[in-house]
Amino acid sequence: MNASAEIAWPRLADFDRPDALIYGIGNVGRQDDGLGWAFIDWIEEQGLCPQASLLRNYQLLFEDAELISHCSRVLFVDASRAKGLESFAIERAQAKMDYSFTSHAISIPSIMATCALCFQRQPEVWVLAIKGYEWELQTGLTALAQRNLQAAQEQLHPACATEST
Amino acid sequence: MSRKLVIDPVTRIEGHGKVVVHLDDNNQVVDAKLHVVEFRGFERFIQGHPYWEAPILLQRICGICFVSHHLCGAKVLDDMVGVGLRSGISLTSTAEKMRRLGHYAQMLQSHQTAFFYLLVPEMLFGIEGAPEQRNILGLIEANPELVKRVVMLRKWGQELIKAVLGKRMHGIHSIPGGVLKNLSVQERDRFLHGHDGLLNMDQIIEYAQDGLKLYHEFHEKNRARVDSFGVVPALDMCLVNDAGNVDYYHGNLRVIDQDKNIVTEFDYHDYLDHFSEAVEEWSYMKFPYLKALGREAGSLRVGPLARLNITQSLSTPLAQAELERFQAYTKGRANYMTLHTNWARAIEILHAAELIRDLLNDPDLQNDQLILTPPPNAWTGEGVGVVEAPRGVLLHHYRANESGEITSANLIVSTTQNNQVINRTVRSVAEDYLNGQAEITEGMMNALEVGIRAYDPCLSCATHALGQMPLQVSVYDAAGELVHERQR
Repeated sequence: MNASAEIAWPRLADFDRPDALIYGIGNVGRQDDGLGWAFIDWIEEQGLCPQASLLRNYQLLFEDAELISHCSRVLFVDASRAKGLESFAIERAQAKMDYSFTSHAISIPSIMATCALCFQRQPEVWVLAIKGYEWELQTGLTALAQRNLQAAQEQLHPACATEST
Repeated sequence: MSRKLVIDPVTRIEGHGKVVVHLDDNNQVVDAKLHVVEFRGFERFIQGHPYWEAPILLQRICGICFVSHHLCGAKVLDDMVGVGLRSGISLTSTAEKMRRLGHYAQMLQSHQTAFFYLLVPEMLFGIEGAPEQRNILGLIEANPELVKRVVMLRKWGQELIKAVLGKRMHGIHSIPGGVLKNLSVQERDRFLHGHDGLLNMDQIIEYAQDGLKLYHEFHEKNRARVDSFGVVPALDMCLVNDAGNVDYYHGNLRVIDQDKNIVTEFDYHDYLDHFSEAVEEWSYMKFPYLKALGREAGSLRVGPLARLNITQSLSTPLAQAELERFQAYTKGRANYMTLHTNWARAIEILHAAELIRDLLNDPDLQNDQLILTPPPNAWTGEGVGVVEAPRGVLLHHYRANESGEITSANLIVSTTQNNQVINRTVRSVAEDYLNGQAEITEGMMNALEVGIRAYDPCLSCATHALGQMPLQVSVYDAAGELVHERQR
């Protein structure tokens, strides 16, 4: 099941459809690792994307290949510690077996490749990576991560930038 | 020039450890050890918490066998509040059956993860197979239909755990004296008949036999190697019921020897009278053993192989038929072939599926007597719980003060119970694969890992480890100079 009209640069409204999934990855008990969940919290608080399925999880599982096989469009939201990343990035993900698998972690491209091979489906998948800074056993985002989260929210949902000014 | 081989960390096990093999001037193995080098210490930081938090907090040790920790903790709490099996006041049948249902669902889940994701790649591609293929991703590319079945099976198990315990991971429904919910007719029918995109029960039983088919094909082609790989004698231990059959939720602890003579059998509440633990400076994981026999003779094997060595029978027909084949293979004696652990694990996948089917058809699950109220002054402030976790005997022991704050906790997890036997297996495999070899190949290193992985060790549970490192292999000479290094 492929999306009928693929998007060049997504807005949150593009995911407001019954066959879309917005999936926050992370751990709110580890400071900025909670960015993915915080994004989902914000969507729920604002009442955005009421038609989409929202999900929070600590990590991806192989079963997620089956989950996304039911979707035409998926947005994964995750914290990132990539050095080159300044605030946030949104990119189209491509299916690829990257062999980074451990029983504790599997990548989004590998999930997509598993979905394609096992379930013969290839949804349109986007990844929103938001820069984080601290990962200790503590709840709450750092101020810098909070700023990056807000920037990502404003990019994907410009109306919220207007509302906050 | 003597050499030291380090495999750091071991891949495709839960948690991380490293293997060190010492070779002498003639490349003969003189020593081999599994080092467990990380530590978290859940037993310490649970102190001071309210007793009722323990089954919720301590299950966070692990993301694989959390149900076992949760239920083991709940059994301790039953003791502490003065109900349950220790007090002679049994939980309601619905409460015990709900706990068992969650427990069997976890057994199905955990064994499948170990078997299909971690072990089957070795069976299909061989111990010497290319590392980039010899893993679950290689398996997906080679046999996507098999992986699809496993994914659907695991999804069913995860949903069942969620229905019974409230969450897919780290459930909340087992409490002192019972459980918080039963299983509604709608929930039951969802799992029996496969609503909402789930498999139905007949499919679960069918798919649960995939592991056995794979194992037998592998065994048929590699009989000599499978039967001679890491043959390690040790006493076997598991929970048994009054009939002498394995009981995954409750019973006495039975220990047998190779001729299946009962070495000892006791109430697990008395474990301190029977066990001692040795400590080594090179590992955070302790070495439990039976006091009466000493460390060398009294070290134990737990888990699937031990359970199927001990049990007289299994209560479900398909698993029983396979058990008869398994036990006949060693002519009724205990089976010490390390790779036969995977056979035992595959039998337990099927047994768990059949047990779940039987429970789902039990109308007791829809009753609403869920929690016992303790009699007045029943508080004991101390409890011991044991369950058969997927990897073997799991023990929790807590004490609390009169305010209900935990003052001490002791956890002996399955991987710790197996520590000595795993180390013996490492030594055995090292001798078979490394003796006299001038060069250490990827296949030789992986043989060591295969020996360890047969126990499906959870070092996260055993030491409560955290973190991830790249795989590095280093060979040192007697002077400590690096002479060979490999990195994955």
